[in-house]
Amino acid sequence: MKKNQTRKVLLSAFILVTTLIASGAATAQDAKQPYPTMAPIEQYLIDRDAEIALARSAAPDAISHDASVIVLTRHGYETAVQGKNGWVCMVGRGWMAMFDHPEFWNPKIRAADCLNPPAARSVLPYVYKRTELLLAGHSKPEVIAAIKAAIDKKELPALEQGTVDYMMSKSSYLTDNGDHNGPHLMFYETAKDGAAWGANLTNSPVLSVNYWYISAEAYPQLKSFPPLSVFLVGVDKWSDGTPAPPM
Amino acid sequence: MRMKKLGAIAIRSLALLVVLGTAYRAMAQDATTPYPNMAPIDHYLMTDQGAEIALARSAAPQSISRDAAVLVLGRHGFETAVKGKNGFVCIVERSWTSAPDPEFWNPKVRTPICYNAAAALSYLPRNIKRNDLILAGRTKAQVDEAIVAAVEKRELPPMEPGAMCYMMSKEGYGGDSVQHWPSHLMFFYSQTDPATLGAGLPGSPILAMSDAQEHLTTFAIGVQRWSDGTEAR
Repeated sequence: MKKNQTRKVLLSAFILVTTLIASGAATAQDAKQPYPTMAPIEQYLIDRDAEIALARSAAPDAISHDASVIVLTRHGYETAVQGKNGWVCMVGRGWMAMFDHPEFWNPKIRAADCLNPPAARSVLPYVYKRTELLLAGHSKPEVIAAIKAAIDKKELPALEQGTVDYMMSKSSYLTDNGDHNGPHLMFYETAKDGAAWGANLTNSPVLSVNYWYISAEAYPQLKSFPPLSVFLVGVDKWSDGTPAPPM
Repeated sequence: MRMKKLGAIAIRSLALLVVLGTAYRAMAQDATTPYPNMAPIDHYLMTDQGAEIALARSAAPQSISRDAAVLVLGRHGFETAVKGKNGFVCIVERSWTSAPDPEFWNPKVRTPICYNAAAALSYLPRNIKRNDLILAGRTKAQVDEAIVAAVEKRELPPMEPGAMCYMMSKEGYGGDSVQHWPSHLMFFYSQTDPATLGAGLPGSPILAMSDAQEHLTTFAIGVQRWSDGTEAR
């Protein structure tokens, strides 16, 4: 039971429950939409120093101490701390999730995340673009179209090899589900699905989702996006070294 | 209780580090090795092919390994015992590809491992070649030299993106020094700075071992369950 709960939390974080995808019992459009629209911007903002501390808590101090930190403002993310090791720490909001994720606009989401240098170079630009457009008031279809255009014009980079995110903060709020949190690492691959890593199978420690969508039908334009899968591996400690609940 | 648990975690992590480190021959040869030479080949073989197949498959959850190809060790190298359907390949490694240097010839070592398709294409060929050379009577030094040369000449391929493997078996024997490996995943990269993934830094859940000569960096992450789903910590 505990194991299932934790998996559910991780999947819900960026992600949605595997069974929802696998069973086809409900598409994201069918699912309950507790957060159908964006909340007032203030609900997504937090105290700058608190945001820096939360962002850094995503990874062990040995990594995050020298990382850059970006914080959310009314118009997008901006650099609050210039780092020295190429890593970038941030606090993700709900809209970092797939475009049809039920918690996309959940104002409670605070997903502390430290991206390694390849991820900072090749994943973070998508985060910036998406955030700026959404905060400027563009609709999801408009944002999707703008990102696609930027990809086609090579204004957004291709995924680099060796990308990883640390999401080991004890203080994150990843989802309304379960315990709301669980320490994990995320790897990005240009795979079409999780089969390449044996993800989402019974007893597999690897979970996988499509970066862009839960259901390709929700926003059909996403079908033409470059394949991008996110693989999650749960870890047994929080970033401060204390043990995490078993998965 | 908490201290005990923390201690266990630390020991596990250390064991994993030690095992990985030694597995890639990072440790100097110990002059007092109890296994100075190769034992008769029969000591390394498993007479029961069914048992070897089952042990190999135990490296990954059944949901993965039941459709994997399985190779078993014969007198001249690995042979296909089961054709797979999902691109994964499971084998039982012997001491010369998985044990610390002092146990390079330990005939008791049996370490199950399941490679994904990318690793089967790019990492497994090194393993196969190493086995072939060992069983053909080459010395450890000769084998190392041949592998490095083959990598240099691109006769052995660089690592494919996404190459990884499962080592989650409850069974097997890692060696006299670390009898059982912790449950973990490994990821294979062509020469990569471990710091890029934060590996080996205090508090990091990722460990790394680099072999500059083979242009290979292996990352490992401990996982919390054995392949059968039972808790591993």
